[in-house]
Amino acid sequence: MTATDGGPAPPGADPAVPIGGHAPAGLAERSRAPRLRTVQALARAEAFLLARSLLVLAGLVAGGLLIWLLIHPVQPLWWNAAWEIGDGQLALAIGVLVAAQLATGRARRNAMGDLYTSFPATAGTRTLAHLAGLLGAVPASLLLIAAATVVVQARGAIGAPGIAVLAGGLLLVIAAGAAGIAIGTRFPHPLAGLLGALALFLSSTLFQGGIIWLLPWEIKQDDLGELPSPLAGYPPADAHVVELAGIAVLAGVVALAVTVRGGRAWGGLATAGILAVAVICLAGAAQLRPIPTTDLNHLIAEVADPASVQRCTTADQVRYCLYPGFGRDLPSLEAPVSEVLAHLPARPDQPLTIRQVVSVDFTQPALTDPTLTHGHSKRQEAQWNAQLRREERFLNAAALAIYLPVGSWPAAGAQLADAHFAMALGAAEWAVHLPPATGGLYSSVFLPCVPLNQAREAIAIWLAILATHPPAGELQGGLHSRGYSIGAWVRSTVVPTWAYPGAQYLVSSGPPITAAGYLLANAMTSLPEQKVARVLKDAWGRWLNWRTTDTQLAAALGIPMPGLPAFLKPHPRRGVSIAPPPSNERDPLCTT
Amino acid sequence: MHRRNAARIAATTVSSDQAKPSPKVLVTPRSPDIPRTEGAPPAPGQPIRHAQRPRLAWLRPLPLLARHITRTMPWVTLITGCLAGTAYLAIMAHVAGTSHSPLGQGSVRLAFLPAVAALAFVPRAWFRPVTQATPVPAWVGPAGHILLAAPVLAVTCWAQLRLMAHTIPSDTPGPPPAIYPVIAQLTGWCAVTVAAAACVDRSRYTDLGGAIAAAVSFAAIALAWYAPITSRFLTEPYATAHGVTVAWYAIATAALALTCAAMRDQWHRYTRDLYRLSSLQSKPS
Repeated sequence: MTATDGGPAPPGADPAVPIGGHAPAGLAERSRAPRLRTVQALARAEAFLLARSLLVLAGLVAGGLLIWLLIHPVQPLWWNAAWEIGDGQLALAIGVLVAAQLATGRARRNAMGDLYTSFPATAGTRTLAHLAGLLGAVPASLLLIAAATVVVQARGAIGAPGIAVLAGGLLLVIAAGAAGIAIGTRFPHPLAGLLGALALFLSSTLFQGGIIWLLPWEIKQDDLGELPSPLAGYPPADAHVVELAGIAVLAGVVALAVTVRGGRAWGGLATAGILAVAVICLAGAAQLRPIPTTDLNHLIAEVADPASVQRCTTADQVRYCLYPGFGRDLPSLEAPVSEVLAHLPARPDQPLTIRQVVSVDFTQPALTDPTLTHGHSKRQEAQWNAQLRREERFLNAAALAIYLPVGSWPAAGAQLADAHFAMALGAAEWAVHLPPATGGLYSSVFLPCVPLNQAREAIAIWLAILATHPPAGELQGGLHSRGYSIGAWVRSTVVPTWAYPGAQYLVSSGPPITAAGYLLANAMTSLPEQKVARVLKDAWGRWLNWRTTDTQLAAALGIPMPGLPAFLKPHPRRGVSIAPPPSNERDPLCTT
Repeated sequence: MHRRNAARIAATTVSSDQAKPSPKVLVTPRSPDIPRTEGAPPAPGQPIRHAQRPRLAWLRPLPLLARHITRTMPWVTLITGCLAGTAYLAIMAHVAGTSHSPLGQGSVRLAFLPAVAALAFVPRAWFRPVTQATPVPAWVGPAGHILLAAPVLAVTCWAQLRLMAHTIPSDTPGPPPAIYPVIAQLTGWCAVTVAAAACVDRSRYTDLGGAIAAAVSFAAIALAWYAPITSRFLTEPYATAHGVTVAWYAIATAALALTCAAMRDQWHRYTRDLYRLSSLQSKPS
């Protein structure tokens, strides 16, 4: 029950005139009160009811949850986080849309239209009050923005929040509410509101390419989280704010057009509607403009030639190269690497480079967002692709490196611990001379070699465990990832592999890890550290040889070689095909 | 419209029984003069009065009721929901055709959500205080509506799966993914929605039963999809296709049982102080 639909009379609202018009003098005086006062009073009550609506509160909770799920596993970058806060506002907007439609359509839904027609407040006045009452959703939206901003900032966000993007989220909520009112005035059935909410939700994933910015809010087709710095016009936030404002006005006009009577009012509404449509079209055209070539050239240069813009720091024979603004990650990156180096009997001759890379792939539009290159000529795109391919060859020919995708390094918590382990394992693989994976960052062919039955693999895992001390349960869980056992084909046999924690935070840091290697390393952690270190130090060169087997290492340590659990045996229902793939799809053995 | 037809249902059931000896036309279940329909306990202090007619005598007016059940069925709501989802999928199929990226089963699941939302408005016992007082059980109307909705939903599911299959190139290597888990999943969604709607229909929020049931169903679907505990059993690839199918049909069976229990519930759940009201009624004034 809402104030305009039969709820308690709001303070200041005009009471009904009795039938026949024989009202007392005082009552008749009050009934001539300005219409604006009635609208204000009703709007105040509507705003209050909307603010405490269960649907709006549910949307607020869902929005907060969604924002947290989106921002907590990744590095907080403001040019990405601001848009993800808008994703949360989309959940709130859905709740507001349904609540507004239910409130507006209740009079007709309950067949009380005649009763409300007898009230002094006309249908148009009530609709205007409903529209003004949307201000009741503003506190929830602002609360969501404020809470998310505090959380993102507390997690050490890089960059600065975009005011236009944050304001766009607020306008999205208001526009959705206005759309709900427009739907409710024409279609009182609750299903209409639900369908409107579903349309709003489903539209967010409907299109690809430059057109995505025309949608009220797209939630998964962008590459914002992978950019090393904000890119002007990506997203076109200012134009999008104007578009959302235009949609809100247009929805309000439609709602009033259904309920307002009178030629003069219709003229005003038609003018406002035409203006709103014009604004939406202009804003849409502005959003469809391609990103300036100079800005994209700069981005391609940052991607293809990171050394030209990155700042490098060398410590303990390891070179850390990070994009400007990411320097605060340096201590977090150094910590696991330094721990591994501290446990090494001898350091390799070749230096190690840890470098940030941009994983946006401009060359495969089906896989990534073509919005970046939208509107540019094929020739221009071909030039950019050629530039990227040139630099990819350079990267492959370079010294051993661990590639760290921009935006992937977590801020804190269990994700950071996993990323530390992955980084330590990458450094340990470099230390025991395990070769890096072959293939390029943008290559579809990715054939890493497998260190099958090689002692150096178990040593690398042991070093990483020693450096970061991950939970044993998490390590054990890598043997059967999400119920599937995983494996790689080497020659004509399936080799069960181990999915180590944090693998998703790095790009091609090294070869896949075998389950046998992990089990031996796990057994090594049960031995005194000094004993293992002495065995390794005594024959370090021998252990680095790819021909030295796990069994030899176990014998040297005086422990039995752990056997593979039964569930790791290849079986079609466990996700590993028992039919060998073609020879060119099998992984080679690491022999260097 | 619904109320007029519901009253007509009540009138039909009563008139069809007038040929037989009938104690009285029933108006309200709380009156001590009115014998209770099956399963309802007597009011405190009132003697139990057994009905005179055979237990399944209410089956006789069913053919007459069928026409009215068909007329009171919310066809517009249901078909609007089904068409909305199918139209969305058709747009997606067009976009997929132009971008040469076939639609997946996830798109079908999303496109079926409007139909699920519409289904939430189907099991509604209009004018229940009257229909409950007739010799025909009050659940016949909602159950008939659900039975009528089933083929519409089946056709919608078939059409949407066809749309999806239309976007997959014929030269795609390997066998297509099995669709029986999707059908089981959509069946489970529908069953959960119907159960939620039937439960809300017996509550004091019956006026918004469909909207509440749809929201509850969407929350349940999201929970089943995204919560790690449930997704392990209810979604692929974490669970096998066979496992997903068994799990969703088990959920559908449980939801069906809950629906039956909710529909057969004859007590009003509209007020909080039912016990106090019945105490007041039993006291002499």
